[in-house]
Amino acid sequence: MITISTLIAVPAIAAVVLLVIPFARQAAGYLALLVSLAVLGGVIGFIYRFEPAAGYQFADNVSWIEPLGVRWHVAVNGVSLAMIAVTALVTTCALGFALWAKRDRSHASAALILMTEAFLILVFAARDLFAFYVGFEGMLIPLLILLVVWGGAGRKFATLQVIAYTAFGTLLMLLGILYLGLTAPDGPNFDMATAIGRGNDWVFFAFAIAFAIKSPLFPWHGWVLPAYRQASPEVAAVLSGVASKAGAFAFLAVLVPLFPAQAAKYAWVFIALGTIGFLWGSLLAFRQRDGRGVVAYSSIAQMSFIVLGIFLLSDRGATGATFQMVNHALVSAALFLVVGWLETQVGSDSFAKLGGLARRRPVLATVSIILGMAALAVPGSSVFASEFLIMLGAFEYRWWLGVIVSLGVVLAAMYMLRWISAILHDRESGLAGTLNPPDLKQGALMAILPLVLVLIGLSIVPAQFTDRVDASAQELFSAAAKEAGR
Amino acid sequence: MIKAPDVNWLAIAPMMTLMIGAFVLLLLASFIRGRDRGLGTVVGLVALLASAGFAINLWSEPATTTMAGALQIDQLTQVVTVLIAGCGILTLFVSFGWNRMRENGAEFVALLLLIAAGMDLIAASNSFVTLFVALELFSLSLYVLCAFDGKSKASLESGFKYLVLGTIGSMVLVYGAAFLYGATGSFGFEAINTALSKAGSGDALVILGTVLVLIGLAFKIGVMPFHMWVADVYEGAPTSVTGFMSAATKIAAFVALARVLLDALPAMRDTWAPALVIIAVVTMILGNISALVQTNLKRMLAYASVGAAGFGLIAIIVGGAAGTRGLIFYLAAYAPMAIGAFAVISLHERDHKGIATLDSIRGWGFQRPVAAVSMIVFLLGFAGFPLTVGFIGKFVVLGSAVEGNYTWLGVVAVVASVISLGYLLRIILAMFDRGAKSGVMMAAAPGMGSLNLAIVLCLALVLVGGILPGLGLDWAADAAKSLAAGR
Repeated sequence: MITISTLIAVPAIAAVVLLVIPFARQAAGYLALLVSLAVLGGVIGFIYRFEPAAGYQFADNVSWIEPLGVRWHVAVNGVSLAMIAVTALVTTCALGFALWAKRDRSHASAALILMTEAFLILVFAARDLFAFYVGFEGMLIPLLILLVVWGGAGRKFATLQVIAYTAFGTLLMLLGILYLGLTAPDGPNFDMATAIGRGNDWVFFAFAIAFAIKSPLFPWHGWVLPAYRQASPEVAAVLSGVASKAGAFAFLAVLVPLFPAQAAKYAWVFIALGTIGFLWGSLLAFRQRDGRGVVAYSSIAQMSFIVLGIFLLSDRGATGATFQMVNHALVSAALFLVVGWLETQVGSDSFAKLGGLARRRPVLATVSIILGMAALAVPGSSVFASEFLIMLGAFEYRWWLGVIVSLGVVLAAMYMLRWISAILHDRESGLAGTLNPPDLKQGALMAILPLVLVLIGLSIVPAQFTDRVDASAQELFSAAAKEAGR
Repeated sequence: MIKAPDVNWLAIAPMMTLMIGAFVLLLLASFIRGRDRGLGTVVGLVALLASAGFAINLWSEPATTTMAGALQIDQLTQVVTVLIAGCGILTLFVSFGWNRMRENGAEFVALLLLIAAGMDLIAASNSFVTLFVALELFSLSLYVLCAFDGKSKASLESGFKYLVLGTIGSMVLVYGAAFLYGATGSFGFEAINTALSKAGSGDALVILGTVLVLIGLAFKIGVMPFHMWVADVYEGAPTSVTGFMSAATKIAAFVALARVLLDALPAMRDTWAPALVIIAVVTMILGNISALVQTNLKRMLAYASVGAAGFGLIAIIVGGAAGTRGLIFYLAAYAPMAIGAFAVISLHERDHKGIATLDSIRGWGFQRPVAAVSMIVFLLGFAGFPLTVGFIGKFVVLGSAVEGNYTWLGVVAVVASVISLGYLLRIILAMFDRGAKSGVMMAAAPGMGSLNLAIVLCLALVLVGGILPGLGLDWAADAAKSLAAGR
């Protein structure tokens, strides 16, 4: 029977094959796309067979490193399956975009993106802390090389920032993992199930900081802007779309269930930081002068918002946060691809040099406006559904928190509308006027469209999603909620 | 009348094979002229493989002592013998295309075999006398190897510096051993341990002896503040020798340290443990910071290896079954990464016909993608990224620290590894600098085949050891039982 391990093995093996065998440029790109489509198909199969009430499913649990008590234990519940699905989709679109953009050394670039996918799926599916760590830190390796080799002019500083921040966090977490694994009652055991409730405050924060950096949660967001600015569009899409979700996901699926007492005790810290980050990121997004800046800061804001939702430790907060993770993955990945497309056409996404692009470019205008509307959470959109759930959770927690949080939602409308008006409307000025770029079509559109369509689909039938993850999300935070007396 | 001690020839066969190999090689080379390289490589390979084979055969034998208790033949000895043989074989592959091999290959390989024998004897030594003799056997041969590139001033300087500073280290060690002999009446590790555990650890003579022995061995493993020779020697020595040094010397010197501190001087823990803690912290932090500012790759990796030595000290400080297993596995894990990294530098030097610096490797990754990707894997291994054997090494050592209530040392190690990412990144950024050179692949360099073989072998070891380390960890745990602390 096919288990989750297959979803990890296929892209990983394909990545190695692509690295080793020197395929012709386009062949490598198509092959990678095919592999990612196969993974996507596999995920859809899992979603079809998934039973919402049955907890963790499709498990593999075999001994991996016997002397250390490390097991290869992977399984998924509704939340992790949702994240894996969105990872497969975003990866496919990123590979499609890379194929369209005709990256140099495409076989290496495609291989590294597939490798990132494998590590990410491992993070989402791991039920053993060692395996989780392998995915969590391992994904840095391909991302780092993608940034170094295919990044923009400022990639050196950006890479240094990414590495310094994230590696520090993950290494602290490693100490925490060692503590939990080695103090297990019957010899070393790194299974998450045996680690529940055995951590102390220090271990809790060792984990929390690693996740906060990866998310990123205010004030650990310093690495985000340079990385999102310098990465090539498809890598930025993977980074902001799914790699950053590893952090938020880990808050919900690792930190909260493993440390229920501490999660309840320190929930207010993360709610406070999440609120500050949400407002601060939104304000900064409003101040940016280019598309990437807006998307990057809005990502910081949204991720902080998601973390806030998780630490409400309530049904609405957790389901809303999961839904928002998926929505934001789709929106930010698509936005980065649109912005990246603009850059390839006119060489810049600075507001000062663009404007009036809506004229004669109906497809671009439609796609951008749909994405913009989704990002600012227009009622009826799936983002609205998820943000509303989190906001409702915040109201239930403290009424004034709900009021503050709604301020941030208003800010989101401001910066997204500013982006739309700056590039689509206004006079046809600067580069857009002189270069007269074509409309969004064929290859690039094919890479962006699936994300938009899924977003629209989720907007139409949000219950299809929430019904599948609700029970799983509840299971994750229930112990902590009990500790918190909620 | 003096009675000759009993000799268990089978037990010392691994070392004897190496020594006999060295003499046979020198003898053959004086009859068969002009075939130095082939002769040296073949005899070297045979001797090293035979020594590893004997050691593997002895693995399941019970531990014994031989030569009137001067040598102890246990599983630690066997593991070290196999590891050193492996390092030697890889070094033979790396050196094969080197022009000095054509001229003086027999001498080179003979010295390499003697060094390997010396290192094996260190692992087997059961008294300060054996330890000193073995240490000098490998050190003296290694001084010569460092200076082997007679036409290069840097190489001569390297050999000379190593000779002077290494000798100081040995002298201090002997001095310390003399004090311990004065206090306990014995050179044997076990006898010293028994005497000290009876007499207590307060004697000034014993404390002085312990400190001096510690300093002498600290010189050999190259930890701060006794590391001054490392960068210069690593930089000047022929690159294949540097790779061998950083891998094999570390194994031998650390095993010597473990035997002395954990077997002979456990009673003096209160004296040496605090000293080692300070040395480890300073070495990890400053070693990695020093590596950060280097531009010469060999110097950079030299400081990196200083930092790594500091990390290894954690395992000795923690001791116990977890610490000793961690130490042995970490040493074994470090070897293929170090040899591999220096092999890549060798390749670059042959391409570039000069020393490897951050400037000279600019864009080189596009010309030699396989070597460059391997280099990245080795560097990621040094930094302890998952799926490399370096990660497992780090995992077990940090794990022993957490278990042994030295978590704060683990935190220092974490900070040090974050610093180490800086130079890792500098090398990767330089190798894949798009602005520097065209992406045209380079033609084969002399001796590429065997060099590539060495690199790929190291790569395979690093990755396989990183993904399926179970067997290696079991062996390390068995070998750790040879030390009193590991039981």
